[in-house]
Amino acid sequence: MSNTSKQSGSLRRYILTRIALAVPMVLILLILVFVMMRVAPGDPISASQGGKLNAAELAARRKAAGFDAPLYQQFWDYLKSVVTLNFGTTFSDRRSVRDIIIENGGATLTLTAGALVFATVIGIPVGLLAGRYRDRPVDVVARLASTVSYAAPVFVTAPLLMLAFGSTSGQASPLIQLNVPTQTHILILDAALDGDWDAVGDIAQHLLLPSIALGLLIVGVFIRMIRINLIQSLQGDYIEAARARGVRERHVVARHGFRNALVPVVTVLGLQVAMLLGGAVLTEKIFNWPGIGRQLIDYINQRDYVAVQGIVTVFALVVVVISLLIDFVNALIDPRVRY
Amino acid sequence: MSRNKRVVAAAAVAFLAIGASACGGKKDNSSGSGDNGGGGAKGGAVIVGTTDSVSSLDPAGAYDYGSWEIVDSVYQKVMHFETGAVTPTPDAAKSCTFTDPKTYTCELQPGLTFSNGDPLTAASVKFTFDRMLKIAAPNGPSSLLANLDNTTTSGTGTVVFHIKNPDSTFPSVLATDAGAIVDEKVFPADKLLDGSGIIGSGPYTLDKYTAKQQASLKANPKYKGTAKLNNSQVVLQYFSEPSALKQAVKDGTVTAAFRSLSPTDIQDLKKTSGIQVLDGTGTQKRYMVFDAKVKPSDQKAVRQAVAQVIDRAGIAKEAYDDTVAPLYSMVGNGIEGHTEAFKDKYGAPDTAKAKALLTAAGITTPVQLAYAWTPSHYGAESADEATTIKRQLEATGLFKVTLSSTEWQQYQKDEKSDTYASYMIGWFPDLPDPDNDVAPFLTKEPFLGTGYVNPQILSLLSKEQGTTDKTVRDQAFAEIQKIVAEDVPIIPLWQGKQTVVVRDGVTGADKALDPTMFRFYELGTK
Repeated sequence: MSNTSKQSGSLRRYILTRIALAVPMVLILLILVFVMMRVAPGDPISASQGGKLNAAELAARRKAAGFDAPLYQQFWDYLKSVVTLNFGTTFSDRRSVRDIIIENGGATLTLTAGALVFATVIGIPVGLLAGRYRDRPVDVVARLASTVSYAAPVFVTAPLLMLAFGSTSGQASPLIQLNVPTQTHILILDAALDGDWDAVGDIAQHLLLPSIALGLLIVGVFIRMIRINLIQSLQGDYIEAARARGVRERHVVARHGFRNALVPVVTVLGLQVAMLLGGAVLTEKIFNWPGIGRQLIDYINQRDYVAVQGIVTVFALVVVVISLLIDFVNALIDPRVRY
Repeated sequence: MSRNKRVVAAAAVAFLAIGASACGGKKDNSSGSGDNGGGGAKGGAVIVGTTDSVSSLDPAGAYDYGSWEIVDSVYQKVMHFETGAVTPTPDAAKSCTFTDPKTYTCELQPGLTFSNGDPLTAASVKFTFDRMLKIAAPNGPSSLLANLDNTTTSGTGTVVFHIKNPDSTFPSVLATDAGAIVDEKVFPADKLLDGSGIIGSGPYTLDKYTAKQQASLKANPKYKGTAKLNNSQVVLQYFSEPSALKQAVKDGTVTAAFRSLSPTDIQDLKKTSGIQVLDGTGTQKRYMVFDAKVKPSDQKAVRQAVAQVIDRAGIAKEAYDDTVAPLYSMVGNGIEGHTEAFKDKYGAPDTAKAKALLTAAGITTPVQLAYAWTPSHYGAESADEATTIKRQLEATGLFKVTLSSTEWQQYQKDEKSDTYASYMIGWFPDLPDPDNDVAPFLTKEPFLGTGYVNPQILSLLSKEQGTTDKTVRDQAFAEIQKIVAEDVPIIPLWQGKQTVVVRDGVTGADKALDPTMFRFYELGTK
């Protein structure tokens, strides 16, 4: 919380300040994305045709594609595409980046939601148990598991899960949801709306392992956060007061301790979205999940500037928007935050 | 509202915001109704899994195998290669002939229509080729038509191609997918068609297409070509990883897998019951290239000594589990004019002969030779290939090989700019003509860096390109292959086999494995 906003005393001003601060952040990010793509060797032409055409023909095609245009001109075009939320057309397969986001965003959203569900379902009970039985064996095991889960990257856990369960869980099989009429671009939702429960089951089956792989990335955070917050809550005066009133210990923990321990988790949950989106890229690739992340890796390999810039920008904007929302929520609910 | 409820509500808003970005309002842009397409398991459709990807459904923007698989199925061409053939025959045309060395005239079949009912006339063909040259898409195949000056028509049934220089390969060029005929009422004249609503007159129509996931091809009831379809629908399922493709064919969720499984996966599948693994002649080739501008490759004796000791069968066995075949000439196995030039000149690997070559040239051993390869373009096995070559050469005691690997993007820049003394290069010919196996490497401006230009070869290339006389062409190619074996600017190492894996009950896979293009229409089910 900045001093300025503290002094202003106005929630509206606080919100506007946070939004204004997000603008240079996004701009710096756009510049970084643009520069990184240009600094890396190669371009979409040489990536696809470098093994067929001689240097003169490659140069002519680069010119025809506008890759020899001055960098400021290319950056200006990029900025325009971001402002208009158009993002252009990919070079390697001539798809509208906006269409890619729309058509594949639902899959990434589904995977992210699945990972959050897994992390919540596992993380909250285990965290509660660890906090409730502090320094007991269950707490030691939970802390160890959470550390391992947090430290193990997706590129380790996902292939291990695939190796262990891929052949029995049907992960390699193609999704059959493509026969389902597209309404929302959220695979499982479209199948449910169509009443195709076979497809719903198939999608859920395909979703299970990637959700676990991605969820493991944040479940450790959940466990530790719930645990520490519950421990702190249980030391609060109001807990002592509840106990003094003769409230049963189970109710003390469930109604008073747990509820208060959960508040910071809801905030952290939003912040984990950035980590989940990053993890989703690898998870989708490893599990053949048809989300934006898988597309991103393909386009990086093809040095498709337009696609990579567009997708990374959308990822970044989502994270920025969520960060802003978290700030606003914090300002609303946390009495320690002043504006 | 209580504080906790406000928190939950705010969190819900955050997730809905993500949802809104993903759910935007645009419907699926696939062309078909999807009522009975896709999925493919119903109705006896053949489901083919592949790791190929599609860059364009519009022939003017398609210049990769994955795109050509679709283009070849949906569009018809003036000429084509029938299954198993390496010489082109008329398809949309009734007949074609060189009326003079620079004029190729074709009479079209009467009554041809596109799948939407539009008539396919000489104007459609002219439109197709004019459009291809006008758009000249950076990722498209217009370079294959570099020798086409212009196209004219006579009536509705006659097309005349005017070429810049006599070119015996022109009929074959027309048979590539660069010659896929498009509907002038559907395709824009000056830009690529957006979306997947493509219209052709080929054996299939594109019923449904989801980029990078699935393509559903249904038999075109208006097709009047020579192909006989053994199925009513082909569903192409795209995989990003070969391991996932292998698992899918094992599970039976795809009935056939074509391009590309690793040699290890193929060996594994050969042991799996209910699955057949079939090999056919492929067109992919691999070469060891020398840059004659870089030491020690500037010395012919060094290049000859390497050619003398390289063991192609060893590379095929050790790096590829014999999923590739040794190649002893620039012109591929199974292509007209192929000779065994390197085998004829060098015979079996022989260290003593190699040592004699180096000694006669006054070169001290071991020769320090740098060999470059790329881990990001030719598959995981290219690492094994590079180390096998190093091991073979060093085992002779005549060479000390330094390996270096560079990512593809930088690699191709380096090899074109005389950075590597020797390096690995692969080649997929566009057409089954010996010229396409030789000319791109040996012209004045090859696509790769060799530092090697031989006037005699240039003269022979000009000679074979200027005639359709098979005897003259065969003689020219034999001579070129002999010169290459003598000068060794390039050592041909291996030619890939095509492998298709099918579940029991799938028929026609052996015929489908055509070197020019995988023939989906040959696949059927019992």
